[in-house]
Amino acid sequence: MPKLTIDNLEVTVPEGTNVLEAARILDIVIPHFCYHEALGAVGSCRLCAMMFLEGPVKGVQMSCMIKAQDGMVVSSTDPTAVELREHVIEWAMTNHPHDCPVCDEGGECQLQEMTVAGGHGNRRYRGKKATFTNQDLGPFVQQEMNRCITCYRCVRTYRDYCGGTDYGVLGSRNRIFYGRFQEGKLESPFSGNIIDACPTGVLTSKPFRYKTRLWDLQEAPSICPHCSLGCAIVPGGRYREVQRVRAGINRETNGFFICDRGRFGYDHVNHPERPREPRIDGQQATLEAALAAARERLAALVEAHGPDSVAFLGSSRASLEANALLRDWASAYGSTQLVYEAHQGRDYAARTLAAQVGGHARSLGDLRQSDLILLFGADPLAEGPMLALAIRQAVRDGAKVVTIDPRPVVLPCAARHLPLMPGRLPVLLAALGQGDLSAFDAEERALFAPLLDQIKAARRPVLVGGADLLGGKGVAALCSAASALSTTERAVGVMALLGGPNSYGGALLAGDGPGFDTLLDAIQERTVRALVCLESDPFCEAMDPARAQAALGHLEMLVCIDATPSLAAQRADIFLPVRANVEMAGSYINNEGRLQEFLPVIAPGLPIKETGAGNHPPREFFQTTPGSAPVADWWLLAKLLERAADLAALRRTMAKYDERFSMLSVLAAETSGLRLPVKVVLPPVADRELPHADGSDNQVLLATTGPLGSHWLAHLSSPLAATEPRPYVCLHPESAAALGLAPGDRARLTTRFGHCHVEVRLSAQMVNGLVLAPQLWDTALEGLAPGSMHDCRLEKETKA
Amino acid sequence: MDIGIIDEIIDKHGGESGALIQILLDIQGAVNWLPKEALARVSEKLSVPMSRIQHITTFYKTFSLTPKGRHEIHVCLGTACHVRGAQDILATVEEVTGVKPGETDPDLNFSVETVSCLGCCALGPVMVVDGEYHGNVKPAETAKVLSQLKLTETAEALEKLKQSETAEVLNLCACQ
Repeated sequence: MPKLTIDNLEVTVPEGTNVLEAARILDIVIPHFCYHEALGAVGSCRLCAMMFLEGPVKGVQMSCMIKAQDGMVVSSTDPTAVELREHVIEWAMTNHPHDCPVCDEGGECQLQEMTVAGGHGNRRYRGKKATFTNQDLGPFVQQEMNRCITCYRCVRTYRDYCGGTDYGVLGSRNRIFYGRFQEGKLESPFSGNIIDACPTGVLTSKPFRYKTRLWDLQEAPSICPHCSLGCAIVPGGRYREVQRVRAGINRETNGFFICDRGRFGYDHVNHPERPREPRIDGQQATLEAALAAARERLAALVEAHGPDSVAFLGSSRASLEANALLRDWASAYGSTQLVYEAHQGRDYAARTLAAQVGGHARSLGDLRQSDLILLFGADPLAEGPMLALAIRQAVRDGAKVVTIDPRPVVLPCAARHLPLMPGRLPVLLAALGQGDLSAFDAEERALFAPLLDQIKAARRPVLVGGADLLGGKGVAALCSAASALSTTERAVGVMALLGGPNSYGGALLAGDGPGFDTLLDAIQERTVRALVCLESDPFCEAMDPARAQAALGHLEMLVCIDATPSLAAQRADIFLPVRANVEMAGSYINNEGRLQEFLPVIAPGLPIKETGAGNHPPREFFQTTPGSAPVADWWLLAKLLERAADLAALRRTMAKYDERFSMLSVLAAETSGLRLPVKVVLPPVADRELPHADGSDNQVLLATTGPLGSHWLAHLSSPLAATEPRPYVCLHPESAAALGLAPGDRARLTTRFGHCHVEVRLSAQMVNGLVLAPQLWDTALEGLAPGSMHDCRLEKETKA
Repeated sequence: MDIGIIDEIIDKHGGESGALIQILLDIQGAVNWLPKEALARVSEKLSVPMSRIQHITTFYKTFSLTPKGRHEIHVCLGTACHVRGAQDILATVEEVTGVKPGETDPDLNFSVETVSCLGCCALGPVMVVDGEYHGNVKPAETAKVLSQLKLTETAEALEKLKQSETAEVLNLCACQ
């Protein structure tokens, strides 16, 4: 631990810390552009110059490039260093336009801050400035190349950190241009990070362009609602709409970056069709009336048909507090019909993980340090993109990655792929745990046997699983394999990608309750007559939507509490609007058991639109804000239970569900969250998990999670929805040849949900004998719950 | 352009991504510029992203992403050449060829480039025509330059002798 003196203050820092970081510990801010904690030091911007007075190095040096050593005496205020920094800033500014008043970066521009801090206020350069033609980089990133100061941070972020290959630096000297080799959409699913990385206004968010001056933006720390990883985000809102999202910093989860789904998937909050008013039997009502109606009707049903006639469906999208109150509500009626996820596979996967993962749980931060990562039925780019980025960082440090999956798994780094049928994944996990591969034929043994040696040789191995393909049984096998393969010297880690941001929390509350299939049976048999859906859509999320729709038709009453225009919200007898997570405070538990808090960014209300037709400012005035009826989900449930709606008081009582929830009282936003302590219990065993497919039709179809824009919340977000693909199926070249299909062909896909015209794509990586089709909303592929298997028929379409 | 030439060059270097710059140099030498199809082929065969290839080809002045003329003329504008009237040489070159620095004429006859130093300042002003250096390009040296080029035979060339020596060299090139 070297001890050094910076500006007459002594500081002891960990070995390997650079002087710039050491100064930051002392709250001494040294201006810098190219240094970034996640990207490392390159010493190219020449701005972090400090004077080294005593110690092993002397003179003016770049503080990011010098490791702190004992006995160093460093000055950040030495006149020579200050003068150098002044000149460097002046050079950086030679070509920079004076367009700050119209620049979208104005207000959070690092260049502006450094220029002012560096004392450069008078441009002496009178020559011509370098000017460039901007490229169209697609729907997410806006380029304004004239503002570039060539700090190289975008390329280091995009290529080195995120693994993109289609963006780079061109030219030399005054012609340096950062861009693509030709105009077009940035291909990386992490492209938005270059917006955060750019210290000035060269790369800004296209959907956010010209919307708001940054000092007018309301921001608060939040948690991304798009997948189960729980990345830190900072949404910004103004005019009652969420206008952008930037990455928050959490070294345990996302680090400094987020994926494009998290960054551009905020628009569901502003969705024009979002239901904002309470409704009773299709008629708009006051919140009090709707609450009273829900209470009365449910009570009447319980009175007439017994406590189990009312069922409750929680959600992985709703806050932990609301999900807990839902359990209270169920027990208030004495009902045991309480389920927390309509997707049975994900439900049991989450519950099994929460019960069994114990000390094997690993965070994304741990993943980045891992040296061997095996992915079983997990497709990170579709199910939890930031996991792919964490894996890439591990690979950059020399880790090996193997994906075992029926789908072609694409990662932004080198990885070995072994195709395997989904049903065989738990078998392989069990076999690896026992070290006995006799269940596999010689050819497969030759492929899988090296995995055992690799795991034995690895120091920090992690087994990653995906809930969609593994289900409860697979996740149980994943956890057992991890404990069986652990030795006293080193434990084998586990990470599973779950359904939603609070799947883990829901799983803890669900305990050994019934699964959604059992609930559907009860509805079909008329034992359950009413269903309360908290921020979930059983019509679309169930593994077998056809069966769910048929069963749910028997319901006498459907209560829906939601913030999105879901099918359940449209069909509900009583609808109660709630806030999206950016509009309220609450907490989620992510897929590694990390409890994290989010805070409200904006208050709900219809976004204010300027039409330019002379109606701004608005001429109509109301006592209340239009569209402000939605309340926080926990607030609504507390009111339904006729309790005081006080978040702090509610959190104090939550230890009764699980003693580990007592940590809620010390939880704070904008921290790295709190990992729940280990508690291993026996997991519930699902009666059945996957809809059966026997190939009796022609082919077996495996539903997959589609790319960025194909998730429910992403689908409701206009910037992402624009990137949604058209329906397609993916085939192994051999199966395609057998069907007489070539890539790019149009084909007709028949499932029991109907017909769909699809484009044929081929992948030699995928397992032979399956048809892969993504779930895509508002298409005939909507009913394909990820992980479910169906019989299907695929025929080539002739040009008629 | 024949894509076979490109494949040959790539194969000559064993299709190694490490030989990228050498491959690009060879293509530049063989076809006089780097056509888009050639770069796409290199990207595909070497498994190198297109952005990386463009990163290199736009960095080095040796590489040209636009077709070059049959005759390449480099006029030195370095300090030594500048004080000895390189600007006048360049102006003459522009006037005679009708091509501005960094450009090529539509008939692909001439490409004119300026350079900052050719390492032979004592010979300034210096001009390079198709790889041949012409030092001290002023009237006294005209005969020498022309004899080096062995172009004095044509009557046209003799006619041009009356004009500025720089213009002459260039015009003769055009006749070649």
